[in-house]
Amino acid sequence: MAKLVEIIGITHNPFLPGMIAAGGDDPAIAQAGKDYARMRQKMAEAKPDVLVVVASDHLNQWFMDNMPAFSIGKAARAQGPVAHEIHTFRLQPYATDVDVDLAKGLLKEGFREGVDFAYSDEFTIDHAFTVPLSFVRPEMDLPIVPIWTNVIAPPVPPAERFFAVGKALRRVIEGLPTDKRVGVLSSGHLAVEVGGPKRPTYSSDVEFDRRMMDLIAAGEAETVVREATWERLLQAGNVAAGFLNYVLLLGLADGRAPSETNLLFPQKTAAVNLMAWHLHEGGAR
Amino acid sequence: MSRYQVDKTMRQVVLDQQVAAAFRAGPDAFLDGRDLTDEERAALIQLDHRTLYRLGAHPFLLLGFMMATSTGDRAELAAGYSGSVAALGYPDFET
Repeated sequence: MAKLVEIIGITHNPFLPGMIAAGGDDPAIAQAGKDYARMRQKMAEAKPDVLVVVASDHLNQWFMDNMPAFSIGKAARAQGPVAHEIHTFRLQPYATDVDVDLAKGLLKEGFREGVDFAYSDEFTIDHAFTVPLSFVRPEMDLPIVPIWTNVIAPPVPPAERFFAVGKALRRVIEGLPTDKRVGVLSSGHLAVEVGGPKRPTYSSDVEFDRRMMDLIAAGEAETVVREATWERLLQAGNVAAGFLNYVLLLGLADGRAPSETNLLFPQKTAAVNLMAWHLHEGGAR
Repeated sequence: MSRYQVDKTMRQVVLDQQVAAAFRAGPDAFLDGRDLTDEERAALIQLDHRTLYRLGAHPFLLLGFMMATSTGDRAELAAGYSGSVAALGYPDFET
């Protein structure tokens, strides 16, 4: 059976790699650099054979002509980000193999566990994938399985569904007839607004950020699910539904408290956070 | 109202610099044949982001569209954008 060895959730703020690289005097940015370097170390220590990466798409790959709620990439290679993101955010390219066998396994067994994933044989991963991968596995030497979620084009699935899909994904991974060690990396974000009345130069809802990270740290997954309604997310920020990827992780972790979390408020961008379950250390089961 | 068609047009401009150049060079011709209302069409041509926002254009795409079509200082545009839509609140952007 496949073994789930590490679960990490971080932000995919496309400005963060440049901010960390530039240094500067913002202690939150400096700490974010240290935290995400530690996440790289933790994932390496877990010795995964493959990374299942759960992230979103910003209307780059998917659009409302045919919008999947949850989708698996099963082409031989994954690369990104898209050209306009490289230009706008000055991001570095990321390219690696896809574990096609595992992708197909997740897809087929997902059907049996109640998740009708869409799938794709031709795609580009955007910054929601490449930013966390660049932090946690910059070597580009591990195969991945990309799983997209729709958190940007309403109607998006409710938090209950993200939690249930996370739980199903764990059952599927742990039931696959392989001895692979599987790491899960997910990116989302806390309160963020883009293109709305609140300027994206600080958290758009500090209270939301603190409340949700406190609940996650305390293992109060059911409360997170109950409170992360579309209306509350929209109030937190017009694209704050990216938080739902973390709800999927809570399901994947069977609702247990993470081994560690952190929440930072940089001076000039949205909150930076992390949640990690070091399963290979016996943490959180 | 054809919110989806507005979003589709903005996305094409955001994704491809050559498409953005074609839009800037001749927005009337670019929009010909698209299922847009007169108000939507005029707002796209005039880069009237406040009207597009009010009509429920996807805010993420809208900011990208304004950046992609801007010929001025993008930092200045970004700095002034949020305040310019503040009075409009949060229109529904579901297609």
